[in-house]
Amino acid sequence: MAKAKEEEQTLEELFAGLEEVLGAMEEPEVSLEESFGLYHKGMNLLKYCNERLDKIEKRMLVLDEEGEVHEFDK
Amino acid sequence: MTRNVYTVGQVNSYIRNMFTQDYMLGRIYVKGEVSNCKYHTSGHIYFSLKDESGTIACVMFAGQRGGLSFRMGEGQQVVVFGSINVYERSGSYQLYAREIRLDGEGVLYEKFQMLKKELEEMGMFAPEYKKQIPRYPKRIGVVTASTGAAIRDIMNITKRRNPYVQLVLYPAQVQGEGAKESIVRGINMLERLGVDVMIVGRGGGSIEDLWAFNEEEVARAIFNCQIPVISAVGHETDTTIADYVADLRAPTPSAAAELAVYDYHRTEEQLKEYELRFSKELWQKLRIGRMRLEKYQTKLGYLHPKNKLREDRLKLADIEDGLRGRMDAVLVSSRHRFQVYAERLNGLSPLKKLSQGYAYAVDEKGKALKSVRQIQKGEHILIHVTDGTVQAKVEEIKEGHHG
Repeated sequence: MAKAKEEEQTLEELFAGLEEVLGAMEEPEVSLEESFGLYHKGMNLLKYCNERLDKIEKRMLVLDEEGEVHEFDK
Repeated sequence: MTRNVYTVGQVNSYIRNMFTQDYMLGRIYVKGEVSNCKYHTSGHIYFSLKDESGTIACVMFAGQRGGLSFRMGEGQQVVVFGSINVYERSGSYQLYAREIRLDGEGVLYEKFQMLKKELEEMGMFAPEYKKQIPRYPKRIGVVTASTGAAIRDIMNITKRRNPYVQLVLYPAQVQGEGAKESIVRGINMLERLGVDVMIVGRGGGSIEDLWAFNEEEVARAIFNCQIPVISAVGHETDTTIADYVADLRAPTPSAAAELAVYDYHRTEEQLKEYELRFSKELWQKLRIGRMRLEKYQTKLGYLHPKNKLREDRLKLADIEDGLRGRMDAVLVSSRHRFQVYAERLNGLSPLKKLSQGYAYAVDEKGKALKSVRQIQKGEHILIHVTDGTVQAKVEEIKEGHHG
């Protein structure tokens, strides 16, 4: 369930989540076991971030009067 | 004949009052050609407006300089907005300028001001209506002309910052007849299509060219749009109604693209940095854990039974040493005492007496012979002398008395 939730999050929310997890990890009194858990969580968030980063180059689309989209040709 | 005589002050102040009470003179647009323009060091600007018929003295005080967005010069045709009032010190009237625009803009400018005021009063510029611009949009709508600098700038900047973002252009007519309808349609269609954020604008031009972005229909379309809108009209200095009502105002189309399109490489770097920080943090924790482990190990080493045993053994050896020492001391002192007794005993020895010519006799049973009654004639006695014993037989017994 938690996973599905994270996959729906925006990059912005994921980044905020990363900051939060890092902050928790930086706490001096956090135990080693907790650290492993947090690290794992952080790595998962990073994975989602990377998945969220679209790596397919786009050509600009043009919207016509009918609401149809076409590729833009210069 | 009675005549009323007034002081100069009274007259000037009377006339000043007439000017002040005049509705038209309080808010007036005057157009003319600039002459005798002086920028005073105090920040005030003194100039005259003139036309074929004459001149009027004008002043713009330093505090009103926000109403002038260009450098005023001789011969310029301008429209000055302000009030006309009397300067009592010289008994002359002058135009107190609040805003100065180059002419041609005059009428439009007035319309602009009126609409701005109206929309502002309706709360359409209120910050609480401003929508947050998403930081990582995937689809960005653009309402502008398909030809022209604006779309090229937006495309270039998008390509540079993040070529993976999808731009969707609605090719709008941005000036002339039908422009406002076209812009409004663009906004509505992109909203229906669903983009993450929208850039609405055009490149620089005259105030007439930019006018569509000062139309109420466009302002309302932007205001009602559920998707965040970034306005990008003309140059830095041009501010339109669209800019006021938009969720974010970009000074130029290029700047709008910079604001809307997140930098892909920086985001990637940021992710790498996060990874690094996580690893560093975990290593740090591990290092601390390892250090603690080592500390416990050392501590546990101290507590090992082997050590306890060695310690006990040492203690035992110590005790043994002590015992031995004490025993030796007792022996030494006993020996010493023995010697002392021996000496004393030696001093008291009857043998010693024997050496002086005394002898010691015992009967047959070995009992010391102390009395004549102890012995019978014919019995044997043993006489001890210093260097040995003499066996003797009793021949005679005489009882006597010794003093």
